[in-house]
Amino acid sequence: MNLRILLVLIIGSTLVFQGCASKSTELNSSLSQQEVSTVNDPFEKVNRVVFSFNVIFDKIILRPIAVTYKALIPGFVRNRITYSLNNLSMPITAVNNLLQGELRKAGVSTSRFIINSTVGLLGFFDPASSMGLVTETEDFGQTLSVWGVSSGPYVVLPFLGPSNPRDFAGLLSTSLLDPMYQIGGGSASDSLRTYRLGTGAVDFRSQNVEILDDLQNNSIDYYAAVRSFYSQGRESQAASNLEIDSSEQENDIFDDFELDESYVGPDIEITYD
Amino acid sequence: MTRIRFHIYILFLCCGFNLTVLASNFAEEEKFVASFANSAISILSNNSLSDTERTSSFTELVMSSIDLNLISKFVLSKAWKNASDEQKEAYLIAFKDYFVSSYANKLDQYAGEKVDVVGSQEAGKYVIVESNIIREGTDTLKINLKWRLLNKDNKIKIIDLNIEGISLVIAQREEFQSFLANNDYDLDKLIEKIVSVSD
Repeated sequence: MNLRILLVLIIGSTLVFQGCASKSTELNSSLSQQEVSTVNDPFEKVNRVVFSFNVIFDKIILRPIAVTYKALIPGFVRNRITYSLNNLSMPITAVNNLLQGELRKAGVSTSRFIINSTVGLLGFFDPASSMGLVTETEDFGQTLSVWGVSSGPYVVLPFLGPSNPRDFAGLLSTSLLDPMYQIGGGSASDSLRTYRLGTGAVDFRSQNVEILDDLQNNSIDYYAAVRSFYSQGRESQAASNLEIDSSEQENDIFDDFELDESYVGPDIEITYD
Repeated sequence: MTRIRFHIYILFLCCGFNLTVLASNFAEEEKFVASFANSAISILSNNSLSDTERTSSFTELVMSSIDLNLISKFVLSKAWKNASDEQKEAYLIAFKDYFVSSYANKLDQYAGEKVDVVGSQEAGKYVIVESNIIREGTDTLKINLKWRLLNKDNKIKIIDLNIEGISLVIAQREEFQSFLANNDYDLDKLIEKIVSVSD
């Protein structure tokens, strides 16, 4: 039940920021009389170079590992890994819940971590969810957005991929402040870090093999497609944290649909070959 | 005691009433999504069909459920207004082929075991139906789908699919805008590119 409310909230408040984004970037309209850029990407030239590098890195290293992982490891085990990574992110989620002033959610995240780490066998199972303890993971980038920090321009980082100054700052603080890394001595937290970074990357990539292959093959502009996916995803998370109710600005974007109804266009015969 | 019981009864009645109101708000749209998803899944899991047959019935289902004309215009955004009639025609034809070859087939990745419709809401002239796909082999790893529907003359059509906060139509639009921005806003080049990708 909780989950549903949470989901509806998240979904409902999804696209508000896209509206904001498209408004703020009307500043860029001097770029061209014809087009209004809808994305904040002043470093596009440099970003595209780094992006091409990342694509090659992905092609020769990350993707092959992810594909092998997917082929060799059964789905059941892969799901356990996803759960365990989710569990490891609960302490930092709790910290962020607190920083966002969400006491109840902080309680949920903490309880999830305690229950799933013990009853859930080191987090490989998720009994907490069946008890109604459900929450989304939170990072510092999202906390900064709750505090009113705007994302800033789109940046592509070497190896790490799409980001922006806000999310990058969040990423740095996460690696400094995550309670998981305060537990145990240096070597314990080092291996934990390696597990999360390495397995996390492979886990994420393996969940997206087909989607990204498809995107790459069918894109008119792969760079722009990834940029849009990243920005939209982050903004929707930000909107859900601010519990903004969706749709007005989203609808502004979609109101464009009525543009030029006068032109009916050719009567296209749709064939299914 | 009877009084308490009566109160509880009233409470239940109210809850029940509220629930029905909520649920039937956009019942037709919710039914549309549920039946679209069910047909999609039954096509995709129908092993008696050959791959080609499966793809073509899936494509047919998708094409009859979406408003491709509106989507085509929307993703082109302002460039649509500045296009000549010849360009518009060439573009619409190219985009249709592109859509069939990329999107229609792309959607099968999201048709998991089961699509649960969780609710609907009004969004301007659209209705948004929310649903979840539960990842195979788990009960809690979900993919969230949000369908943007337009009910025009009693015909419901899909306008957009939003996956975990990412609108496919907005992403497509940003991609086209980016291509145009990097190619002197030459629509002919975009059309050419669309044709070459869908081949």
